[in-house]
Amino acid sequence: MFLSRSSNILLPASDTRKLLIKWVVALLVPVVVFTLWGGESIINAVISPATASGGVPTDTGSLVAAAIFTVVFNIVVLLLAGYLVAADSGRRGMIELWVEVIVFALVPLILVILLGLILGMALAAVAWLAYFYVRNAVRKARHYTPPPPLASLKAINAEQRSVLMSRAILGGFWFGLTFALISLVVDLAYFFSGSLPTVILIWAIIRTILLPVAGYFLGRLAGIMALRRTLPQTGNGTGGNGENGRNGSRNGLRRRQQLEVLSTTRAREEAKDLVPNDLPLRSAGAQRFFLTLLVAVMLFYPILDSFLFGPGTDGRLAGYGDAGYYVILALGLNIVVGFAGLLDLGYVAFFAIGSYAWAMVGSTQFGFLTGILVNPHIWPWFFWPMLLGAALIAAFFGVILGAPTLRLRGDYLAIVTLGFGEIVPVVFTELDKYTNGINGIVGIYSPILPGVDWSSSTPYYYLILVLIAITIFINVRLRDSRLGRAWIAIREDEVAAESSGVNLVRTKLFAFAAGAFFAGLAGAFHAAKLGSVSPDSFGFGDSVIYLAMVVIGGIGSIPGVIVGAIAVYAINVFILANLDSLASDPNNILYAVHNTIANVVPGFTFGNIRNLVFGIILVAIMIFRPEGLIPSARRRRELQHGNNEEVELGALDVPPGSAEFEAEVHVE
Amino acid sequence: MTLLLQEIVVGLTTGTIYALIALGYTMVYGIVELINFAHGDIFMIGTFVSISIFGLLGITATSHPTGFALIGVLVITCLVSMLVCAVLGLVIERVAYRPLRNAPRLAPLISAIGVSLILENFGSLWKGVSFVSFPQIFPQVTYDIGPVTISSVNILVLVVALSLMIGLQWMVNSTRIGRAMRAVAQDREAAALMGVNVDRIIGLTFFIGAALAGAAGFIYGLQYGSSIFYIGFQLGLIAFTAAVLGGIGNLAGAMLGGVVIGIISALSSLIPGSILPHGGDAWQNAIIFAILILILVFRPSGLLGQQVPEKV
Repeated sequence: MFLSRSSNILLPASDTRKLLIKWVVALLVPVVVFTLWGGESIINAVISPATASGGVPTDTGSLVAAAIFTVVFNIVVLLLAGYLVAADSGRRGMIELWVEVIVFALVPLILVILLGLILGMALAAVAWLAYFYVRNAVRKARHYTPPPPLASLKAINAEQRSVLMSRAILGGFWFGLTFALISLVVDLAYFFSGSLPTVILIWAIIRTILLPVAGYFLGRLAGIMALRRTLPQTGNGTGGNGENGRNGSRNGLRRRQQLEVLSTTRAREEAKDLVPNDLPLRSAGAQRFFLTLLVAVMLFYPILDSFLFGPGTDGRLAGYGDAGYYVILALGLNIVVGFAGLLDLGYVAFFAIGSYAWAMVGSTQFGFLTGILVNPHIWPWFFWPMLLGAALIAAFFGVILGAPTLRLRGDYLAIVTLGFGEIVPVVFTELDKYTNGINGIVGIYSPILPGVDWSSSTPYYYLILVLIAITIFINVRLRDSRLGRAWIAIREDEVAAESSGVNLVRTKLFAFAAGAFFAGLAGAFHAAKLGSVSPDSFGFGDSVIYLAMVVIGGIGSIPGVIVGAIAVYAINVFILANLDSLASDPNNILYAVHNTIANVVPGFTFGNIRNLVFGIILVAIMIFRPEGLIPSARRRRELQHGNNEEVELGALDVPPGSAEFEAEVHVE
Repeated sequence: MTLLLQEIVVGLTTGTIYALIALGYTMVYGIVELINFAHGDIFMIGTFVSISIFGLLGITATSHPTGFALIGVLVITCLVSMLVCAVLGLVIERVAYRPLRNAPRLAPLISAIGVSLILENFGSLWKGVSFVSFPQIFPQVTYDIGPVTISSVNILVLVVALSLMIGLQWMVNSTRIGRAMRAVAQDREAAALMGVNVDRIIGLTFFIGAALAGAAGFIYGLQYGSSIFYIGFQLGLIAFTAAVLGGIGNLAGAMLGGVVIGIISALSSLIPGSILPHGGDAWQNAIIFAILILILVFRPSGLLGQQVPEKV
């Protein structure tokens, strides 16, 4: 299939207004909903803490953080508005986009407002499934196939670049202006009804001037960002980033040639991220903004939570902290199973080792074992080096496990890892002289950091965020390293990898060690957060859950595994385990559901069918998305390659039809 | 020495039960390369079905038929349990595994885990979360053969298990269906080209494997007298280990593996507390898996598994 090389890669400049309406409306709706829900009260609390309603933190630290978040949020939204207007090719209609914005942004937002974060997101996921189903049904009924994404690799010239730039500026400005005006109208209405203090009215007027101005400048910045994602024009000095015209144009030429030489699938993938394109919301450029927003929300979440969801922040943060170490566990297991392709059914063993490493050092148990008298005010400092220590001890055991498995293949390896996972808890149970046996170790010290109160959940939340960030960073670096490529090579074909010079022994041992390292890290965190460990919390069932997280997320894909871990944990712990407490509330819809079932089946509780529902969800996810929620790019390409049996012309050295091709193909 | 022989007899009877379950794992693995984690739970359903049939027939430990009537009841219970489990296995294959036949390798594994959770939860809803007693209706007679004592139940268990295994061996080696199974296991596409209905043969494999688990559930109940909803999980793990130990995909290997593991676990209880704290019983699983790892280090394809040459 040839890439289309249509001449009109940009809408004519006169259609800018259409683009503006399309994107300003699409962005305004969710942003206004968010502002009315919590954004406004955050700003009000910052401007005049005295008027803040109950339950909202009013100490200086929280207010500064809330202010920073608000600024970041608005900057990102304005940038996004500019970028999207510039990056849109305009080939897809307004209505289609608005429907998608409603389904993918407004519906989850409203559900989260009504039901809380976890349940809201879960129902939103169900709503998305329903939407996909309905959309496909409608498309099938109307024999509609969506047009293939614009795959134009045509460079855009200086004139078109200036059009893009002006669009970006206009996008930022108009979004800022409309947003400011809507907010002003709402505030004025509140003011005249007497429920708005004057100080906030003054702020509202300042904001009305500030937002469009900021929109103008941020739009310009967004335009620069968008232009960096265009293909510069060949042979024209204006390309590149302007520092060296000739160099830039050569880069542009090289890039275009590179794209054309790639297979169709790859070229289409790359073209998706160029500017302009059909689905700018899904391009890599826009994803950066989403990621920034997500990081900002996560960083400031402990403060935002009480603005958004009212009292009960500490309990919720504790839950998210627990979900966090599952993310680390899943990412670690992903190294072994996803990258290196070694099926590990006993991963929980390393988690147990990491937990016990800190439990035995960081509690009075250490005094019993060694006779060294431990000062409980100073000793917890030792948590920080032991975080690394526990990870290294676990990695050491990873090597010990790896060594006998080097000759094993496939499922023989799986059973050895499974065996290791069974042996470790038995050892911890029966060597009660050292580990206090089945009762486990209690009174494990929390970490110490000056000025931090570890009796609340917030420090653990930040600690796990930092640990996850480190884990993701190391994972990405490992995946793209020489070692990571060796892992993928042995996953695909051990024999071929070995004959290409991959040292199997070292590579496999590194995979086990790296996987175990992160389990140890998560274990030490788990022990410190919970304050106790016991051997029966590390069973085969846990290993299986970690594996399910990896496979459901998308094996080998780092974002997929993160999503998979959160999804599985949320389904299992936040939703299914809480159905009963939700059903006891007469205002909840589950109350009626529960009573109806209980009338038929006496003594029914949701807790009784928790694993039943969880099992059905596991089977259903696997049947409908066997490659996982977010498959890795490599696997996605393989799948597309399987569907698309055509010869990929771009991949050939010589295009068919040319004389050379005939000469090559023609065999006497 | 007497103690040792006695433990070997105990190990032999448990081992044959492990072997019956392991056969299901190994058959399924041999034909679709899937670790069927739900298999142990099918075994659990088998024990529950047997208990329910006894309940339906009004049989309790104190009031039950004797003589030929007893044998009739036992045979019927065993057959019904096998049939229910077999149909269950067939349904599971159809619903949870067949749609995933061409999916990435780990997808059916997760699906199997999901099915296992479903069955376990179903078992706990059906018979509650505590131990359910299995009426001990078979007359307990003990025979002294030389230095060891063997009970009538042990003999029954051995006879049932061995005859099923022999039957299975005969079926796989000497019938048309068995030949089709072996063909599908070796090369699915080539078998299909030769006129074998692959879907039917795979379904049949699940059917037979699950029937064996049903029979294992029945004789397990006779031997131990109780069951609980998570029993399948633990025994399934051991049985799967047995299948791997023998060489997964190999029927004789699964039987050998089951017996070896049964004997190891029986013998491990002889280890005194002076060697391992709390005695060998507490360490049973650790010992089984440690020996498994040792054996696999020296024979990476199990006891009877063939060293498959690497395809390049």
